Amino acid sequence: MSEKILEVRDLKVQFRTDSGWVTAVNGVNFDVLKGKTLGIVGESGSGKSVSALSVMRLIPNPPGEITGGTIKFNGQNLLDLPLDDMRTIRGNKIAMIFQEPMTSLNPVYTVGNQIEEVFKLHQPNLNAKQRHEKAIEMLKLVGIPSPEKRVLEYPHQLSGGMRQRVMIAIALCCEPDVLIADEPTTALDVTIQAQILELMKKLQDELGMGIIMITHDLGVVAETCDDVAVMYCGQIVEQADVKTLFEKPRHPYTKGLMESIPSFDSTLEGEKERLATIEGMVPPLTKLPVGCNFQDRCEFVTEECRKVDAELKPIEENHTVRCFHPISY
Amino acid sequence: MSDYLLEVNNLTKRFPIKGGVFGKEVGAVYAVNNVSFKIPRGQTLGLVGESGCGKTTLGRSLLRLIEPTSGEVKFNGQNILELSGPEMRAMRRKMQIIFQDPYASLNPRMTIGDILREPMDIHGLFPGKEERKKRLYELIDQVQLQRDALNKYPHEFSGGQRQRVCIARALAVEPEFIVCDEPVSALDVSVQAQVVNLLMDLQKDLGLTYLFIAHDLKVVEYISSRVAVMYLGNMVEVAESSELYGHARHPYTKALFSAIPMPKPGLNKERIILQGDIPSPMNPPSGCHFHPRCWMATEECKKEYPAVTQQSESHYYRCFNPID
Repeated sequence: MSEKILEVRDLKVQFRTDSGWVTAVNGVNFDVLKGKTLGIVGESGSGKSVSALSVMRLIPNPPGEITGGTIKFNGQNLLDLPLDDMRTIRGNKIAMIFQEPMTSLNPVYTVGNQIEEVFKLHQPNLNAKQRHEKAIEMLKLVGIPSPEKRVLEYPHQLSGGMRQRVMIAIALCCEPDVLIADEPTTALDVTIQAQILELMKKLQDELGMGIIMITHDLGVVAETCDDVAVMYCGQIVEQADVKTLFEKPRHPYTKGLMESIPSFDSTLEGEKERLATIEGMVPPLTKLPVGCNFQDRCEFVTEECRKVDAELKPIEENHTVRCFHPISY
Repeated sequence: MSDYLLEVNNLTKRFPIKGGVFGKEVGAVYAVNNVSFKIPRGQTLGLVGESGCGKTTLGRSLLRLIEPTSGEVKFNGQNILELSGPEMRAMRRKMQIIFQDPYASLNPRMTIGDILREPMDIHGLFPGKEERKKRLYELIDQVQLQRDALNKYPHEFSGGQRQRVCIARALAVEPEFIVCDEPVSALDVSVQAQVVNLLMDLQKDLGLTYLFIAHDLKVVEYISSRVAVMYLGNMVEVAESSELYGHARHPYTKALFSAIPMPKPGLNKERIILQGDIPSPMNPPSGCHFHPRCWMATEECKKEYPAVTQQSESHYYRCFNPID
């Protein structure tokens, strides 16, 4: 069993809106293990990005606030740390890659400048020349051709895939223990996505970091993650290792999600079946129903589901589900 | 009447690049280069490719929303590139488009009812008051929205519902052909499936013909009877969708399909990871545009662009060294 580096318990994040407090993340628990990848999947608004931002303590306040729970990194609760101490961890021990490589790089600084900035902050003993050499080394690490030249270029001179590589380089500068990747390939084409995912896997093997992979693409999850948490309306509804989750999804939402992706095999057998869908849509966070959040879209709904919210309970070893009527196999 | 609703021959769209003090032309981008294909009536042609390969330009050229440089677009046997402005406007009644972003393609100041009425006003359809009302209800029912939606504004709807409004707007003038330009890319998975099903039901009920553009190969493969693959403005392979997945001949098609992450853990499939990025269309590589990234490339590929090889009636590709 790998070592636990990050332990999130009962995380609750709320946002103040015109229509009162909205709970974006409600009692979320997860662990990140050394050298392993945890996938967090869910649709827009499910709270997956907010959970990740909380770990970095980057929730904009106001309007947002972490109102409960603990985030333990190597045994220390990050939520208790003074901001100055948090700054030494952020970008250093825990780093993050964002979805939009186009907007997360500063257009008026060279790529080299932006990589060197990390060293300036976290490794102040390096001089300018060493920093520059380190920057070139990082670009080489993420597979950018002719790094000596690229290091002097501006973001607009690079393609989308290259920019995402630069983002990864920046995140990995200090060899972080935890890397949070928030939809790292969503803005990229499939062939470039394949390159980036392979690169991340390779770097994980080399550096042994734990990764939190946030995505809505179940294909990406299946290919990159070891464990998966499925989120719906701010809660984790199911959590298991990747193989179990895909073979035996227990929560009706997880199952629905998997069936709504077209697969190639279905079309090989002549007549195409209709895609399975989940009826209705995600309820707005301001109008969550009493009881289970999924009740209005669920085919197994009973009176009980409309009264109380199920708890996230283990159904077998390493497999938890939040449902009164989990699907049995 | 021919079997093919749409027949495109050697369609080319060239964007000049101007530079220098006098705005002289310094180069050109062939966003769509000599593309030919046909779509049988009532069927769907899927169009895939990476960003910048010209799929959107192609879709818009067909409706002359972007004026093509040369070539032929035959709709019901008539070359629409020869039509005058007013004739073309009348023709657009038969050909409609659905855009990618349902947040940007609906006017936030118009009610859904007004949005749906506008195309009918332009084309003078269903003029009577009762007739018009009946038609609006019919449209709303077809896309499975509530009838009270007609008095609401776009901001009151979710992404999936807005896309349904866009579909209803396209259907309002009773078109025969719809260009679907990434209609589900901006939607969540569970909603995406609903919209895909809706599009397929409408096709069956109304006998529509689609050009379905998307970069999600799983969706394209699912909805289309045939799929065309584009790379840097060229159509590199066209085949039946079932054939393309298992028996692609062009190396790019093969690489594209192998790059899709499949929702099956532990599936150890052969993966081809292409090196490098798509070259700039301003300065495409010589010969076959794909050769710098292709693992099958030979000297020949660097010099000449391969001609079309017709493998069967419905399957053709442009490659000197096709995969067996």
